[in-house]
Parts: sequence; C-alpha cells; structure tokens
Amino acid sequence: MDLDPTLVEKVTKLVLSKLEEPTSNEPSTEEQEVKIWNHQTASPEATTISSSAKEENVDGNVAFSPFPTEGRTVKRVKEPAESSDHGHPHKKHNVKQEEAPSDELKELMSKTPARIGVGRVGPRPKTNTWLKFRYDHAAAVDAVSGEVTGSILDSLKLFTVQTKVTDNDIYIRRPDYGRRLSDEAKKLIKETCKFQPEVQIIVSDGLSSKAVEENVEDVYLSLEQSLNSLGFDVGTPFYIEKGRVAVMDDVGELLQPRVVILLIGERPGLVSAESLSAYMCYEPRHGTIEADRMVVSNIHSGGIPPVEAGAYLGSVVEKIMKYEASGVSLVQKEQ
Amino acid sequence: MRNSKAAEEIISVGIDIGTSTTKLVISRFSLMNMAGTSHVPRIEIIDKEVIYESPIFRTPLLSATEIDMNEVEKLVVSQYEKAGISAEEIKTGAVIITGETATKSNAQEMIHHLSDHAGEFLVATAGPDLEGIIAAKGSGAHAYSEEFNKTIANIDIGGGTANTAVYRNGELLGTCTLHIGGKLIEMRDDRIQYISPALENVCSRLGVSLEIGSLYAELDSKKITDYMASVIARMLRKELTDADKDLLLGHEPSWEGNIDTIMFSGGVSECIYKLEKNDEEARAMYGDIGMLLASSLTGSTDLSEWQWLAPNETVRATVLGAGTQTTEISGVTIQVDTDVLPLKNLPVYNIDFTNDFEHGMQKLPALIEEGVQIFDPNREGQNFALYLSDVPLIGFRDIQRLARTIVEAAQKKPVPRQPLVIVLERDLAKALGQTINTQYKEQSAVCVDQIRVEHGDYLDIGRLLQSGVVPVVVKTLAFH
Repeated sequence: MDLDPTLVEKVTKLVLSKLEEPTSNEPSTEEQEVKIWNHQTASPEATTISSSAKEENVDGNVAFSPFPTEGRTVKRVKEPAESSDHGHPHKKHNVKQEEAPSDELKELMSKTPARIGVGRVGPRPKTNTWLKFRYDHAAAVDAVSGEVTGSILDSLKLFTVQTKVTDNDIYIRRPDYGRRLSDEAKKLIKETCKFQPEVQIIVSDGLSSKAVEENVEDVYLSLEQSLNSLGFDVGTPFYIEKGRVAVMDDVGELLQPRVVILLIGERPGLVSAESLSAYMCYEPRHGTIEADRMVVSNIHSGGIPPVEAGAYLGSVVEKIMKYEASGVSLVQKEQ
Repeated sequence: MRNSKAAEEIISVGIDIGTSTTKLVISRFSLMNMAGTSHVPRIEIIDKEVIYESPIFRTPLLSATEIDMNEVEKLVVSQYEKAGISAEEIKTGAVIITGETATKSNAQEMIHHLSDHAGEFLVATAGPDLEGIIAAKGSGAHAYSEEFNKTIANIDIGGGTANTAVYRNGELLGTCTLHIGGKLIEMRDDRIQYISPALENVCSRLGVSLEIGSLYAELDSKKITDYMASVIARMLRKELTDADKDLLLGHEPSWEGNIDTIMFSGGVSECIYKLEKNDEEARAMYGDIGMLLASSLTGSTDLSEWQWLAPNETVRATVLGAGTQTTEISGVTIQVDTDVLPLKNLPVYNIDFTNDFEHGMQKLPALIEEGVQIFDPNREGQNFALYLSDVPLIGFRDIQRLARTIVEAAQKKPVPRQPLVIVLERDLAKALGQTINTQYKEQSAVCVDQIRVEHGDYLDIGRLLQSGVVPVVVKTLAFH
C-alpha cells in the first residue's frame, strides 16, 4: 500500500531504458527468435522475428503521462516512421503482422470496451496491451486507496464524518466497520443536520475516491435541482469517509428521513475506475434487508452521464415516495 | 409469440394506399426493459406480432385524378372492426400513399385526414425514397443485409413506380425511383384503356404505337416491359442512359459501390413469387401489364448477373414496413410536456457541436434564427425540432447555460412560447429538459434522446407510454 510513487517511477524508467538499449550492447546474448501468429487473419503462417523487434514495439510507445483519458479506446501499436527502419531487415514481417482487423472484428471491437482483437506475441499479449492492462490495474488500485480532496466537498458544502474505520487496511479487512458511524460522527450529524427530512443525500468514497471526485458534483447538483422541482424537503447533506453501502442504516436511525440516497464509489474495474453508484432506500434502519435497497450504477463518462443520472434519480425518489417502498418491495407494489 | 414478461404492449397499424391496391396491417409490439437491474432502464421493442392482415383491396378512385376519400376511410374503419380494435387503441403506425396515387389531386388531404382520424398517432408518410426504404424493411431485404453483411437492392414494383433502396450491413446506402409499374398500361376487354404519359417517349423510341381504344397486342407490350427490365438493370449498375432517364422519377441512383444481391417486392413481384393465397382472381382482374413485366424480369439476362433472393413479402412489403418498421422507442431518461404530444411532421434542424461546447454555444443563437428562416420563412409559426449532435460530455453548470441559451434564442421565434422540441444524440435529454422546466416554467419543452435523426428528416413524436418512453417515427428524406 505504501509504495513510494517516485520510486516506482524511477525503477520502471530504469527497466525501460534497459529495454531501449540496442541488443548489441548486451554482452554475449544470442539473438532469440520469437514466432508470431496473427490471429486476425485466416492464414496459419507464423512469422519469425528476432528479439530486437520487440524493442520496436516498445520504442516510443510507452508514455507514463498523460495516458489517454478515454480509457476505452484500445491504443493500436503505431509503426515507427520509415526513416527509423534502417538496419532492421525483419521490419517487413512486422508490418504484415500489423494488418488491420477485418470489418467483422472491428464491429465486435466497437461494441465492447473489453480487450478483444488486441493480438498476441507467442503466448503473451503485446507490450502495449500489457502496459495498458497494468496501467488500468494500477488506476484501480489507486482509486481504492486514494482520498477525496477537500475542494470538491467544500464546493458542495458537505461536511465530513468518519466511520469506525481507522485506516485503509482496516477498511478492506473489516467491511462491518465501514457500515457503522463513529461516535463523534453521530454526535456531529445530530447537531448539524435537519431531523426527519423527506430526502437525505449522503456521499461516500466507498471503494473509489476517484468516482466521487469525477462525478459527484454533477450528479449532486442535478439531483438537487430535480428534488427541488419535485417539491421534496431535502435534508442537510454530508460526506462519510470510508463508508460502505449499509452505513445508510445508521444515518436512517439518526435522522429518520423517508428516503436516503447514498452516492458511493463503486469497486473499480479495468474498464473504469471512476464509476459511481446511487443506492436508495425507503426508511433504512438497522436490520434493513439488502433486497429493499435499490441502485443506479455505472454513473461515469462512459456510462450514464452524471448530470443525466442526477435528473433521473429524482424521478426514482418520486416513485419510492409514492409507493413508500424501495427495491424488491417497490417492484412488488408496482404490479 | 407473446412474451409474458413484456412491460407493455402497444398496437401499431400500417396503411398503404398504392396505385392499384390498398391494404392494412395491424400488429402488436411488446416493450421490455432490456437493461440490467442496477442500470437505468432501456426500453426496447422485443417482439412484433402481426395480429391482422386485411385482404388486398383495389384503391378506390373517384376519377383518374382523385382518390375516393370516403371509400378509403370506410374501408379502414371496416377493417378495424373486423380486427376488433378501435382507433383509440392504436398507439403508433404509419399511413403511406405510394406510387402514382401520391400524385392524385387530393393525396395530401387524404393522408392527413387518415392520419388524424384513424389513430391518435398515425404518421403520414409519402415520397418515393421513403417508399423504397419502407418496402425494403417490409420485404426482409434490410434484415438480410444486416445478417449477412451483403449489399442488397430491394426493388419494390407496384402499379406505378419501382422504388429501389440499397442496404449494406443494415445501413441505407441510397435510393432510386423509376416510372416502371404494372399499371402503366391498362386493358379492358382486350382493348387498351390507359397508357401512362410517362411511356410516350419510350413507345416512340421502341417503334411501338399504342393507342387508347386500340386492340391490345401482347407482343408490343412485351417490347416495353423487356425495355423496362433492362432499364432496371442499368439503374442497378448506375449506368442509366439519357434516354432511360425519361423513366427516372427524381434523382439518379445515390449509392456508392456495387450490389451483390437483388430482391423484388411489390405487386409485380407477387406475379413472380405468388405468396398470396387467395389472390388468383385479383391477379387476373388487374387487367394490366403486371404479369408481362414479371416475365420480362425473370427472363432478363441483364438482371441474371445478380443473385436473386425471394422476398418475405411481395405485395404487402410496404404495408408491413409501414406498420412494423417505422416506429422507434426513445430513451427512458427524457423530459416531455405531455400536453403538447403528439407532435407531427416536425422538420429536423441539426446543430453540430463538433465536440466543442464553447464554439457550439457561440453559434447556437444564430443557428436557431437560421432554422426559423429555413422552416418558417413567412413567420407563420411552423415549429421545428432542434437536433444537437456531437455535444461533448457536459456537466451541470454547462447544462444550465445550454438551457438558457436555447430558451433565450427561441424567444425570437415567430411564436415565442411554442413548445421547444430538442433531440439529443447524447444521453442528456432529461437533465436539459428538467433544467428548462425548472428555470423557465412558462416554456413548454419536449426533450428526447437516443434517437437517430439527420438534418432534413421529419420527426413525429407520440404520447408518453406507461414505460416512460415515447414512440418516435423518423421520416428520412435526406437523399438528394
């Protein structure tokens, strides 16, 4: 958890500079040959390239920052310019190997952010694919261990309270601690917040601080506008650090709102590390069963746009208030 | 097959008033939420079941130039009764007036009359391009191109026109319409009763003299239908000669690339495929060159260079297309002022943000004014729909600015408080609509998304359904 980021960067750069050095500098290594099967064509032929070709792929493509923000587009390996071609007779094979995918494959690729059609070298993924994978994985890890900066919370006038979690390690290992507010938190909430509002909005970082930083402002403002225009009495919102979904039960006990909306960071994946969820529940209390909670997930730039999600959540709250139920109970009452 | 899990069912009707025949089809659409439980709902049409098909009627005419509106309406009402449904139950659908019938003096009046009286949201459609498109969807050509990744031309030949639409991979590539049909020459008791004026030049060039009242000679007519088949082949190859263009209705073939497969639908294709069970008499009674034209098509060596595919529907392709393939469903997160729906026949004005919000905002007011000049030059209050495309992902504050700019610009319209109709390419309709509602309470607005439209299309928006979506019919006319 506590890896020094500058150290990590230093080591990685070291490794890469090693890779970039011409093979001839390395003493007494035999040129190893690698077979490449192009799975994108019907041809069963494998092309053989020497190990120095691997550098070709790496060369100039590794960028530590900034990595493309649209994480969904699979970056294709770019061929180095013709001029850098001198002295690499195997280059022609490499060109062939980079044939454009067929229309059918392109169509499939356009339909999913999953890593399909990215090619391979022998039994392993191509360097770029692998680096992208490592990058996304690192972003996911960062999202879990990161903290929400104060400025976003200040701008939305959210005060901060803690759960029973004391540090990140405990947060991961003891989910039950994340479901309960600390004693100081309870006191502060009681003192500060409106009692028995119709709708209580709370925000928590959950498993992705990045999700809150990227999306919560637009969701919150749009939701607030929506609730106001529907004429609901909205309580005093606040931010719960290191909370879990069921922490809303504690809030329900304390403030006794009709509906709680919890905007919480989702467990990050390799497609997006900044996806936000909105959990809603009618009169959550200790002992509320999970089936009575409902969720709108996938709120981020590649899912439902945050501002649209906020507007939509208002109409979900309207429905919950109308039927005085949420989750499975709501579905049953609707029929 | 009915799906018991369907969230909602709606009734759709299609009515096709063609040159020689009129028919009607009633179907039931099942709507269902196809999104996962934790996602925002996505309502889709999951099943279309045809529940009633009318017999094929002769199109009632008062004279050579006028449709018998009363008879058409009676016919429609009688078919509703037979199917056991009332006009109020019909939630969507289209009435299309095709071929030479569209040129009748009261065609416009007829179609709008039916659209207003035969169902609460029945869309009026006309125009040779749209005919070709709708027929290609009804015949199965569109679905085939999607499934097999082929380029297919559907040629729908009715009494008056041959409407071609070319699809590849489900995408429309282009259209073309020719003045070719079974009813361009009509006979009664072996004597020629009618010759379409479109054939005048063709006859003289082929050295065929046909006169009204003269004895019908199949040999002469066969020369004409053989010629028609060869014109169709040249049209498919995009090699129409100047002489061929006498038969061209509107623009030349507008697609790129070559065609792999051809499919014939329409009344003339019925003469080839004979899919109708009780139509033996009907075919005989036509008294025209339909059968002859069919035999010219099948015998043509020019046309044999393409792979032929039998259609799912022949004479009913257009009506089926109109009844089952024209309706789309909007996204769920929309905001509509239910009092102003349904809205019919709104021209679409596209404002392209080119993914640059600031730039788009700057030109927005001037473009809305331009829209007024284009669609309402006499300032009579003709409304239009704004289509905002390539809008970048914007946040709450930018949505507020967008709403203000649009509402302020719309004040300059001839009727300032006219309902604002906004179609968004991106899933932002609810946020924008809600903002307009909150900030400008006196401004009525209809904001929908997840509908594909283009500049110059016409848009019809139906009433809000239980599932929270609206049925939408987009009439593409954007082919030049």
